[in-house]
Amino acid sequence: MCGIIGYIGLRQAQPILLNCLGRLEYRGYDSCGIAVSEHGINVCKDAIRVEALKKTMPRLDGTAGIGHTRWATHGEPSPINAHPHLDCSGKIAVVHNGIITNYQNLRDQLSGEGHQFVSETDTEVIPHLIEKYYNGNLETAVAAALNDIEGSYAIIVLATDEPKLVAARKDSPIIISLGDRENFIASDVPAILDYSNRVVYLEDGDIGVITTDSIKVSRRGNEVAVKVHQISWTVEDAQKAGYEHFMLKEIHEQPKVIRDTLAGWVSGEALEDLATMWGDDINALLILACGTSYHAALIGKQIGQELLKIPVRAELASEFNYSTQPLARTLAIAITQSGETADTLKAMKKLKEVGCQALAITNVVGSTASRIADRTLYTRAGPEISVAATKSFTAQLMVLYQLMMSHPEIGARRLNSMTKELRQLPNKVQQVLDNEGEIAQYARELSQYENIFYIGRGINFPVALEGALKLKEISYIHGEGYAAGELKHGPFALLGSDTPVIALLAQDDTYEPMLTNIKEVKARGSPIIALTREGDEDIEKIVDKVLTVPQVEAIFSPVVNTIALQLLAYYAAREKGCPIDFPRNLAKSVTVE
Amino acid sequence: MKQAVILAAGEGQRLRPFTATKPKVMLTIAGKPILQYVVESLARRGIRNIVLVVGYRRQQIFDSVGSGEELGVEITYVTQEKQLGTAHALAQAKAKVDKEFLVLAGDNLIDADTIACLEGLTPDAMLVKRVDNPLRYGVVTLAESTVKDITEKPKEAASNIVNTGIYAFTKKIFDFIESELDIPDVLNKMIAQGHQVRAKKIDSTWLDVAYPWDILSLNSIVLPQVPASLGGIIETGASLKGLVSVGKDTVIRSNCYISGPVVIGTGCEIGPNACILPATSIGNNVVISPFTEIKNSVIGNDVSLGPGCFIQDSVIDRGSVIEGQFTAFSRQAEVKIDDEHHSVSVGAMLGEGCQIGSGVVAQSGVVVGNHSQIQALKIISGRLPDRSLVI
Repeated sequence: MCGIIGYIGLRQAQPILLNCLGRLEYRGYDSCGIAVSEHGINVCKDAIRVEALKKTMPRLDGTAGIGHTRWATHGEPSPINAHPHLDCSGKIAVVHNGIITNYQNLRDQLSGEGHQFVSETDTEVIPHLIEKYYNGNLETAVAAALNDIEGSYAIIVLATDEPKLVAARKDSPIIISLGDRENFIASDVPAILDYSNRVVYLEDGDIGVITTDSIKVSRRGNEVAVKVHQISWTVEDAQKAGYEHFMLKEIHEQPKVIRDTLAGWVSGEALEDLATMWGDDINALLILACGTSYHAALIGKQIGQELLKIPVRAELASEFNYSTQPLARTLAIAITQSGETADTLKAMKKLKEVGCQALAITNVVGSTASRIADRTLYTRAGPEISVAATKSFTAQLMVLYQLMMSHPEIGARRLNSMTKELRQLPNKVQQVLDNEGEIAQYARELSQYENIFYIGRGINFPVALEGALKLKEISYIHGEGYAAGELKHGPFALLGSDTPVIALLAQDDTYEPMLTNIKEVKARGSPIIALTREGDEDIEKIVDKVLTVPQVEAIFSPVVNTIALQLLAYYAAREKGCPIDFPRNLAKSVTVE
Repeated sequence: MKQAVILAAGEGQRLRPFTATKPKVMLTIAGKPILQYVVESLARRGIRNIVLVVGYRRQQIFDSVGSGEELGVEITYVTQEKQLGTAHALAQAKAKVDKEFLVLAGDNLIDADTIACLEGLTPDAMLVKRVDNPLRYGVVTLAESTVKDITEKPKEAASNIVNTGIYAFTKKIFDFIESELDIPDVLNKMIAQGHQVRAKKIDSTWLDVAYPWDILSLNSIVLPQVPASLGGIIETGASLKGLVSVGKDTVIRSNCYISGPVVIGTGCEIGPNACILPATSIGNNVVISPFTEIKNSVIGNDVSLGPGCFIQDSVIDRGSVIEGQFTAFSRQAEVKIDDEHHSVSVGAMLGEGCQIGSGVVAQSGVVVGNHSQIQALKIISGRLPDRSLVI
């Protein structure tokens, strides 16, 4: 999915295009670019986010232009592959959202006719086709070019010789918006709502032409009357698909994320492919990450130790850079959602220097982490807008499960039972989401407190850390994750009736010691909440409140438990009226040390 | 008319257990929620500005159709907190609608031809259809092409022409919605005050889902319209006949016999030696083990079926795990819904997240509540509430 924008009017196009692109970033943000026309077309594009492009790009003068923000699903984001794309003469620029299925044929044919291609994208055939058909009328040239194209598209075309923009669509969204002596074209309405709320929708096969003071829409060669819609909603409503915040939308996407990760797994090919990761000489794992990804790393450590029976270390990338440790025969795994986390990148470079094999787990195709690493496993989470990571964390866990399950040591029996359980996971997660109402109700009570402890053992200790992190980053309540056994070494001094403790239980050998810890906490007068499997009747007698999740094998309990805690944090923050998607002082990816 | 209001807030009590965690409009027919068919039909007629009135379990709708972008439409959501009736639902959309707009029910199967019928009509207007069993609908009395009266679920039907719940209105309708909760009441009031409401009879598709077994009949009607397509991997020796659609990343193992119309979702593992007969829909991430036969059934996402099962005329909702040798055969059976007895030919209706042990036999017409657990070798019949434990 990509976002496109076009502007023509009396104002400078550059700042308007960049602002609109920022609004389109929910559609993807691995690269972006704009083209502005004034005595020739000037293009500025790069494999960076819009905010970064704003800072680095030179001033481009001109009052007509187009822009694009990209989310690569295959092919590498690079300055060359970023849009807009130009024809040979540099007089025609195109931005495109969609996939041209017959581009290889078109490209071969156009190359044969002498056209020069510079990128690897399917899109680049469009400006060259338009160039081929251009005969003084941009609109007819675009129509002729689209005749040759198969696939899906929403495109905007800018040409130096004509003061207009031409747009067309097939199976990809595009709208035209009317301003005062200026007009817009965009992938969606929220992109332009800062400037105008009058919108014309294009149908499949329509060609739209806008100038500073006119709009024309043609259908099968005949001009049709345009119908202008007044938009009453505010920016971002649509992008959130009904939800109040991106975070809740992304929490709800998790069953699909898990299902998507599992697809391709069953055929066995993905497993065999992963298995090639494990050379004979690897006898230890080192997992590096920061923030939420570090909690995934800690869970990965537990999974690895249990399944592989080899030493696994999980380290904070930001601290690893100060340590000197023997790393012979170690596979290093770096986890970073954005692929741009500065500390993680630095640690990876250091590892490469000492000759370690480095594997990156990231959500962004072609990100820096993937370029440094020997191999990259992509999480299938899609763009994540909310600063608080939710679905990307779950996707990281899924990749870690699969990676560890691909190890030859695991054995067919365990592999089969885990595969069966994994297949059930999307539905188990859906059940957690279906229980949202009860969690929300309890979160409202919790939001009244200033300090909350989360305790867990074994594989659920990192879940306690993650639950506390979610709470503090979005609700500003002080959440503290602790290993349950460590509570008596200090934090007991903080317990009391105004400090609730949330205990995370799993059906493994940590269950009994957790019960002991719960009783200890209760004796100190803290309200205690247990997060446990359905039907755990013993616990109800001991604790003040039970939140249940569906029963899963203990090794998968971090998935359902974390998602319940994400909802808990979300609803606590909502109760407090916090700006959930964009908490104070925080940025989505941390590109400084 | 470029705008449509779709009413999608209702729960669908009579469709339990399938509507315990999802609204009625999210019931899956031939691989897609019913609501999606309505939206696609509107898009096909160029109606892309859609106001969705949601309420009960609305998150499921957000997750499924989202902003509407993937379906080529723009969706604006409004919420009806309490499901009081269709007129009340429509009133929630008042601030979002154009001068003229269509109103449709999200839980009816409506094709593009049906929507086209409305396009020539001047609001206020409605579509009506001749049906065999008018008593469960609103029966419409007509004078030529003008509506005289609508009687909801009458004891005796004056005619077999019924209201399809598909309307074309102007904003004026909101002036008439006061204490009325349902649209037919509002229309009767308008007619009584001398306003003309036009009606047009349709022959095209309009199907209602009211009872659990309607899922099966709708499924068998829609399936033949799903084009054949092959994603994933089809191993040598598998035999696919007729209209079979297989999603990506699905594996059909050797010696499976699949006779269309059949739709299989993404990421499934079928066989070896499984037999899937018409008219069957299978969701995403489903496992069907060897020597299992499925006939005229709907299987939800994440379901796992063990070896040697026989499943006929049955609905198995998402995430149910069924061990080997499960049998659900279809005979004429009495099924009780809300104190009404229905005599239908149906297999088993299994709610979501059920765990069924080996060798369980489901008697025809059994309805098993969500998250029930049935131990091995049990024979189940009648109606089991949610979270039943049969040991």
